[in-house]
Amino acid sequence: MSEIKIVNATGLACPQPVVLAKQAIETSEQVKVIVDNETALENVNRLGTKLGCEVKSESKEGGLFEIMLTRKSGVPLPSENVNTSCDSSAAVSEPFVIVCSEDKMGRGNDELGSLLIRAFFHTIAEQAERPDIIIFYNTGVRLTVQGSEVLEDLKALSNKGVEILVCGTCLNYFNIKEQLDVGIVSNMYDIAGTMSRAGRLVNP
Amino acid sequence: MNKQIPYYVMLFKSVNYALKAEKILKAEGIPHKLIPVPKQISSDCGVCLRFEEQYRIHIETNLCNKVEFELIQQYS
Repeated sequence: MSEIKIVNATGLACPQPVVLAKQAIETSEQVKVIVDNETALENVNRLGTKLGCEVKSESKEGGLFEIMLTRKSGVPLPSENVNTSCDSSAAVSEPFVIVCSEDKMGRGNDELGSLLIRAFFHTIAEQAERPDIIIFYNTGVRLTVQGSEVLEDLKALSNKGVEILVCGTCLNYFNIKEQLDVGIVSNMYDIAGTMSRAGRLVNP
Repeated sequence: MNKQIPYYVMLFKSVNYALKAEKILKAEGIPHKLIPVPKQISSDCGVCLRFEEQYRIHIETNLCNKVEFELIQQYS
């Protein structure tokens, strides 16, 4: 077991922290990466996970974060090239986004539409290919509040790391902000931004 | 839902029956979930009701003579 290699990536802009972390973990069993922003923290965390390392991160004084990457013994690093650029990860640059603009799936018949949206989210929650982000706006926000028929599926997705953005203006309009039960209240900047950088945008 | 626990899916001849059955179960407060018919049962784009074994008798009693259905036990 070699000593812990320390990578000080403070003050460095993306993708430098990830590149340095990757170089370090290729030659050491254990690497401690110090970064000074959350983007770098997330990117290094993601790199560690992709490389099959044990990842532990903690925040330190002065806005610093320390990420400890430990190679699992006996587990070789993935041989395929793990991209280290800022937009390396699909989750960062080209997320798979589901946009839910209504509390129904399709138009024409509301009863059928609400049945379909339930079947849709059940299936999304069960299938292996999960979206990175789900956005809810207009009547779609009703799916995220208490009493929603798809709450269980959305919570399962959220627990598996799917980001759920809920339009705050819409919650406000329907006066159901207090009943929000899954996801985070979001705004048009995040919503429009997420949609703009989506690799795939699915609207059920 | 725990993957090891057997559960039932209840199939109907039409979507309308599924909705009718669901209304009855909702009114009775019996836990269930409306899901797409599992692929291994049928490739039709249908929906069915899924529920845990413990509710089977309660559900059958409530739907008896009201809706036509077929029950299939599932594992996985």
